[in-house]
Amino acid sequence: MNKNTTRTGKILWLLASLAFAAALIAGWQLIANMRLISPVFLPGPDRAFDAAVTGFESGELGGKLLLTVERMIYGWVLSSILGVALGTLIGSSALARSYFGPTLEFIRPLPASAIAPIAITLFGLSNASVLVLIAFGTIWPMLLATIHGFAAIHPRLTEVGHVLKLSRLETIWKIALPNAVPDILASMRLGLTISLILTIVGEMLMGLEGIGNSILLAARSFDAPNLYAGVILIGLIGLVSNLLLDMMDRRLLRWRPSR
Amino acid sequence: MKGLVFPLVALVALQILAMVWGIESDNLASPVSVLQAAWTAALDGTVLTAASHTLSTTLGGLAIGGTLGLLLGLLIGLVQPIDRLLTVSLEFLRPVPSVALIPIALLIFGLGYRMELVIVAKGCFWPILIMTRAAIRGIHPRLMEVSRMLKLGPVARIWKIFLPAALPRLFVGLRLAAGVGLTIAVTVEIATNPYGLGYAVMFAQQSFRPDLMFGMLLWIGIIGWSFNAFLLFAQNRLFGRAALVGARS
Amino acid sequence: MTAFDQASARKLKNSEQLFTGTEVDKGMKSAEPLITFRNVCLDFVGRRILQDINLSIGRQEFVCVVGPSGCGKTTTLRLIAGLLQPTSGEIVYNGKPVREPARDIAVVFQDYTNALLPWRTAAGNVSLALEAAGVPRTERPDRIAALLEKVGLGNRGEAYPSELSGGMQQRLQIARCLAQEPSVLLMDEPFGALDAMTRQHLQDQVLRIMDQSGTTVFFVTHDLEEAIYLADRVIALAPNPGRVAEVFDIKLPRPRNQLTTREDPEFLRLRRKIFDFVQESEA
Ligand SMILES: Nc1ncnc2c1ncn2[C@@H]1O[C@H](COP(=O)(O)OP(=O)(O)OP(=O)(O)O)[C@@H](O)[C@H]1O
Ligand SMILES: [Mg+2]
Repeated sequence: MNKNTTRTGKILWLLASLAFAAALIAGWQLIANMRLISPVFLPGPDRAFDAAVTGFESGELGGKLLLTVERMIYGWVLSSILGVALGTLIGSSALARSYFGPTLEFIRPLPASAIAPIAITLFGLSNASVLVLIAFGTIWPMLLATIHGFAAIHPRLTEVGHVLKLSRLETIWKIALPNAVPDILASMRLGLTISLILTIVGEMLMGLEGIGNSILLAARSFDAPNLYAGVILIGLIGLVSNLLLDMMDRRLLRWRPSR
Repeated sequence: MKGLVFPLVALVALQILAMVWGIESDNLASPVSVLQAAWTAALDGTVLTAASHTLSTTLGGLAIGGTLGLLLGLLIGLVQPIDRLLTVSLEFLRPVPSVALIPIALLIFGLGYRMELVIVAKGCFWPILIMTRAAIRGIHPRLMEVSRMLKLGPVARIWKIFLPAALPRLFVGLRLAAGVGLTIAVTVEIATNPYGLGYAVMFAQQSFRPDLMFGMLLWIGIIGWSFNAFLLFAQNRLFGRAALVGARS
Repeated sequence: MTAFDQASARKLKNSEQLFTGTEVDKGMKSAEPLITFRNVCLDFVGRRILQDINLSIGRQEFVCVVGPSGCGKTTTLRLIAGLLQPTSGEIVYNGKPVREPARDIAVVFQDYTNALLPWRTAAGNVSLALEAAGVPRTERPDRIAALLEKVGLGNRGEAYPSELSGGMQQRLQIARCLAQEPSVLLMDEPFGALDAMTRQHLQDQVLRIMDQSGTTVFFVTHDLEEAIYLADRVIALAPNPGRVAEVFDIKLPRPRNQLTTREDPEFLRLRRKIFDFVQESEA
């Protein structure tokens, strides 16, 4: 075995794995064709694909996709900025940590979607409402990771800061924040997932135009092909955004010893 | 103790604000009226009915999704070729958010217990699958070699080496999945399904009862937090001194 | 022989004469070897790790392997264990090529922390080997007690590995290996991580146990003195690629004793000789 064969080995496995996925889709098609499950509930991949193509050709589906992705990203960026900023404020002071930490830990495990009724109460069924829902539902991982990143800083590094006579702001900017970056990035990955979930929920709840709402409407009108096309599109959004984050991770965390 | 200062101060401030400016309206409620509403809801059985629906769906979904996740996780953890074969399929399926399946479940099962159960099960499936696989992978190769040198059979290997070695992590997976399950159950109820705690909140909101809405949110918080605390307690209790070493490695 | 060897041999001539009188007769041991390496080569990811190893190990022989770090000591041991397969050549054990681990070959791993089951008590860890060998449940407690007693852990049966010191954990691993009633015991730097006192104590324990059970031992170590003290034969490996550089017969009287054996002129001579050899081969 040498490096070359292991690389071709990898590629072969990838191909095999792709083939297996294709076989699954073929199996799905077969089940649909044989009508083992009623086509009302399970259309074949061909019909879902046709529905997607028709939807994109009319420009309708593309528009909805764009709206959904836009919401997801706005909410995510907003919550990331808020989370890191607030986390820095709280995290950089041990005193603030001890006052706010427990409350935040208490709120964290709560279902983020529970913010939805509050958002609707305050902002009605509107775009602003969805943004508030996404931003406040998504903020927790980033907020807590930033605080944790500050808390978990190695005492040796703090001492380095002291010895170099860095100002408080410099210590935060040059030592504490970079130290928290891996934690923050991991939390932003989680945040993006939550953001997508809340975008879908928000669209469903508030009846706003987007993929989330359109799949709900498709289900209500027993339009299975469009429903499945929409769900697959949402999956693709998740997949692509994760891949992009992977790439970002690799760039930003190059200094870390690979595990 | 310091941790209690902030929420108490905030609540008192809100209460004073509410009394001075009278912010009570269709949208907002003072802390005292929220507590009152929460108390009434507990007494008249609203909380109990709603919580039992939500928790039973969570546990049922956890049982179904968790079992499937455990089995598949063991399979791909123990048999590398299957893992490699499934990589692409799993990587494509994983990012599909559970809530995106709400309409499909709705289409097939209609509103009610079953559609919620299915979505919760799907949500619990992934964390358990991933933690099981990681737990198996995390077993030190030396233990595998010990089992080879002792010539343990496949059943003894799984039963005496793999499962106990993986158990602490499996339980962490179970705990995560339980949290995810509860979140998803509430989310499904908020989004569509007219049962349980999530719906109780939505119902209060739609009937312009902010006091009850915040009261029910408070209950969701208390129940979710206790659920989590109980599982943490169980984890520490079950995996005391013996398994701590295993959990760390 | 190098010039240096000759010089030191001359210097030690006196003591050598003394020594011949006390030489132990090894003729009792069967002539046909228990383990044989035949032209064994091993590659890892395209790199040659072991090159043309030819070795035989007799029944009840105590063989120590020394050599610089990374020269392939562990790898050689794992080949005998059946945990690795050679790229070419073969290892013959009891007349049959080694294809997989055998029940009567036991391995004492260097990293005892990882090789013990943390969720089982000391007794439970020993029990694992008995369970694997199909020893009936009723017989186990007595045998476990006897084994723990043998390694000096008689009163720690209920302790978890994390509650034992490093030396105790290693003794526990040895007890589990003894539970296999092995014909061959493979030990990979078993005492490397222990302090000098514990180490000497365990060396004597191993010697005593081997003497009682007549087990063949293949013992990897960094420590030349340890090798000479324990072995009938010391095999020195040279690195890049790993190969047998030299074999030293150790003809020190048994039973050995930490004080007198280590002061034996022959011991000192051998130590000097092997030390010089290793230094030379590393240079
Ligand atoms: N799994 C592996 N994959 C690739 N190379 C390996 C592997 N295991 C060992 N090697 C290489 O084989 C060589 C011999 O390793 P081995 O562990 O046998 O050395 P060693 O003599 O036991 O060293 P030490 O005294 O440090 O324990 C080393 O160069 C090492 O890099
Ligand atoms: Mg080694």
